[in-house]
Amino acid sequence: MRRAAWLALGAACFAAPWLVAAVVPGQQRYVLHVLIFTALFAALALSYDLVVGHVGSLSLAHPAFFGTGAYTAAILSTGAGWPFVADVAAAVAAAAVVAAVVGVPLFRLTEHAFAVGTLGLGLVAWIVANNWVEVTRGPLCITGIPKPRLGLPGGPALAVTTLPAHYWLALAALVAVVLLYRGLTTFRLGRAFHAVRDNEPLAGAAGIDPLKYRMLAFTIAAGLAGGVGALYVHYLSVMCPEEMTIALTVNLLVIVFLGGAGSLRGVLLGAVLFTALPEVLRLAPTWRLVIYGGLLLVVVVRSPGGLEGLLRRAPGAAR
Amino acid sequence: MRLVLTLATLLLVALSAGAGAQAPPIRVGFASAMSGPAAITGEGVRWAAALAVEEINARGGVMGRKLEAYFADNKAQPGEAVSAVRKLADVDQVDVIIGQTHSGACLGAMPVVKEIGVPMVVESCSHPKIRELSGKGGNEWTFRVALDDEIMAYTFARYMARQGVKSSSVLAMNNDFGRGAAAAYDAAFKKAGITLVSTEFFDPGQPDYRPVLTRLKRANAESILGIILASDGAPFMRQFRELGLTQKVYSRGSLASAEFLHQVRDKPKVGDGVIEASYWVTGLDPEWDRKWTERYKVPPRIHGSLAAITLKWAVVPAVEIALKKHGKADRASIRAALKEVDVKDSPVGPIRFDDNHQAWINMVLLEMRDGQLRIIEKLPTSPALLK
Amino acid sequence: MIVGDLLEQVLHGLTLGSMYAMVAAGLALMLGVARLINFAHGEFFMLGAYAFWYGYRQLELPYAAAALLAPAVMVLFGVAYQRTVIRAILPRSWHVQLIATLATSIVLTNLAIIVLGTQPKEVPTRLSSTILDVGGFRIAWQRLLVLGASLVIFWALHRFVTRTRTGRAMRAMSQNREACAVVGVDVQRVAMVTFALSAALAAIAAALVSPLFNIFPDMGTVMTLKAFAAVVAGGFGYVNGAIAASFLIGVTEALAGSYVSYAYKDAIAFLVMIAVLLWRPEGIFGRRIGI
Repeated sequence: MRRAAWLALGAACFAAPWLVAAVVPGQQRYVLHVLIFTALFAALALSYDLVVGHVGSLSLAHPAFFGTGAYTAAILSTGAGWPFVADVAAAVAAAAVVAAVVGVPLFRLTEHAFAVGTLGLGLVAWIVANNWVEVTRGPLCITGIPKPRLGLPGGPALAVTTLPAHYWLALAALVAVVLLYRGLTTFRLGRAFHAVRDNEPLAGAAGIDPLKYRMLAFTIAAGLAGGVGALYVHYLSVMCPEEMTIALTVNLLVIVFLGGAGSLRGVLLGAVLFTALPEVLRLAPTWRLVIYGGLLLVVVVRSPGGLEGLLRRAPGAAR
Repeated sequence: MRLVLTLATLLLVALSAGAGAQAPPIRVGFASAMSGPAAITGEGVRWAAALAVEEINARGGVMGRKLEAYFADNKAQPGEAVSAVRKLADVDQVDVIIGQTHSGACLGAMPVVKEIGVPMVVESCSHPKIRELSGKGGNEWTFRVALDDEIMAYTFARYMARQGVKSSSVLAMNNDFGRGAAAAYDAAFKKAGITLVSTEFFDPGQPDYRPVLTRLKRANAESILGIILASDGAPFMRQFRELGLTQKVYSRGSLASAEFLHQVRDKPKVGDGVIEASYWVTGLDPEWDRKWTERYKVPPRIHGSLAAITLKWAVVPAVEIALKKHGKADRASIRAALKEVDVKDSPVGPIRFDDNHQAWINMVLLEMRDGQLRIIEKLPTSPALLK
Repeated sequence: MIVGDLLEQVLHGLTLGSMYAMVAAGLALMLGVARLINFAHGEFFMLGAYAFWYGYRQLELPYAAAALLAPAVMVLFGVAYQRTVIRAILPRSWHVQLIATLATSIVLTNLAIIVLGTQPKEVPTRLSSTILDVGGFRIAWQRLLVLGASLVIFWALHRFVTRTRTGRAMRAMSQNREACAVVGVDVQRVAMVTFALSAALAAIAAALVSPLFNIFPDMGTVMTLKAFAAVVAGGFGYVNGAIAASFLIGVTEALAGSYVSYAYKDAIAFLVMIAVLLWRPEGIFGRRIGI
């Protein structure tokens, strides 16, 4: 997209709270709430796309990392009184460490076994979260997670209490993830990732160690997922095991494959559609799931490049 | 000239607004689990709301004002409950919310209803924390009709002790309801002098109870307290009989219920002897049961029926009070009016909210025998029970 | 007493394992013969259960007839599914297969909720209500039927694969698909038969266990996960491996659920799989070619 268009989009995103208040004054809180979820989901989907779209490893364990980060932040901020910035950093670190630890045995498996292995990891993580009641309070959930406060301990702090403030925080996080995503997927590093994804034996022969690059993408993606988890719990003030089930994997798969795996624009589009569409459609919840499933099926079969693939094929489409 | 035209237009608009203004309907939002594994509860709430609203509107509405029902899905999760409340309040512009059926969702929704300023009347979340946090506990916008597990546990445990029970094992659903209730009974058994031999949790929907039944057999307590709903209770009791266990079964949930009897209608004796502590059972309002069965072809569901009772005997009286006193039924006036609701004869007993916005409805003790449910005791409750 | 208790758990585990094995065998067949990952396999189980319910409760057929109706219906469904979804995704990467079949699973499960309702269905039969009591050890006859029938079915499956032309073609295809096409094997037909067989196996398993448990739209999801765990632990695409792994999972689940912790019972399948993979990344029996 042209530079001007990006700038305009950026300005609109930043000005969203005012735009929403002007256009739909009665529903502005609800719309902002949806936008916050959209931003967080987009960031999470981008982190997932690093693994699925750029190194080509179909991991189904992302909820485990999201959940690790979320619970780390929840437990540290409620039980140990850690400040916001610290518990988010801890969340990122914890998720990355878990990924590094489980990644070693997981990446030894063949592709199919890897997928099922990650699926199992996700399931076990949920079961632990649901049953290790002493730490996570299980289904009773961790409540009372404080609102974010950005600042140094003992010094001046910026409290994030209103919806617009939460929105800007989520937006800032999304922008950070976008920049990191761009950095990781272009230049030499990006080419190395793509080499591993597209032709592993050739990459190995060219001196690019597939295991090293897969682990790198996997760990970074997990850390980012953990960070999003931390932001999520600070917004909702509640964290329950239900937030890290397979349903989250399915949602991420829909976003990434609907939008276009491996493409920034595609995944962002997918996230916006995925969160905005149900609000527009206002369907009964079970029908909504049928439609998601149907949409995912059709898109993955007909246009595996997702919307991004369709956009690229459109005549006159810019890069 | 311009001035005359403007004034004329304004006058016309004002007149037409006045003339066209029908009394707007009262919008009631219902939030429950409409999808996901717990969708059976949301379905019940939707069915009940449809039936109850129809009933009320057929009688002319509440003081001439019709009711409109709106629904939102909380998927039994606190995160979704936040979305559900915002949708009902901001998009559907409801005046009052009835929900959220599941304790985790209730706790998640509570700060949001306070932030937005919309009254929420809880019809069946049973976590004790909800009472602690409502009313003078800090949240002036939440009210609860259902009893919580602390209240019920103390009463039920004392009843069990009176029956001579000395020891018990607990088998509870592994969710917010089961965990909360199990914790409450742990404390209550201690107070009542009953030994808690073991506590087991099971995932709702999983069908294989044999391993846990052998654990219960080995634990060898005199009785088993099942914190379990009808849909799980049916396979559980069948397998209980299959293994030939002989403990006395007490339950809290919907094990002894018309739903359960419907599931085991081929062999109703499967449920014999189960004693359940509840606050709702079919038979408290036979008219309602009849209408439900006629329309939906299955026995009335507990969560749905509680939502209907909350609507008819808590929310509607509040709307009436608000209309009489203030001439309007908006969120603030409904909230104020709820504090003054004083219903003596709802099917579940008296509905009057105390300082923690808790209604002290009756507990009922039920026994299942030969495919029938029998109310063996109706126990009024009060704050004194907690001492 | 303790030994009796232990034996009881092992027997229960074997019964569970035979249920998992019938489902996993079908999954392994499809993987081995057609190189297809089918994440909607659990839905064959679920729909088979509902087909059985319909035959037994609504049409009031005798048990045996209803139990045969289920696989018959699912064979038709399997063929339809193969002609629509599978044909489109078979030539594609397994990523696409996994996601497409996962999407199908979501559609089927939620359509089942809409069409069949959330109220679980119960289908107790004479055998599930009649208890065999041997000196304090009690078991419903239906459980013994599950175990017995599964052994018969596995024996029949083995004969089919080793003795019949189609069966041998399936085996050949799983070893070298290109060579089969060259030699004149009707690859499409064999794939279709494999599919139908796999759907039928899941449906028979459902008809056997439904009287013991209840039937609800979500019941396929857990089954898919456990079947995959068994297939992966058994060596992707190796049917006997999947069967063996299923029994291992069943017995471990029963023993762990009874002696260790009931709450973590469903994690057992995956913990077993992870343990096996850590020890032998290619599955219990190591690297194998063919079903």
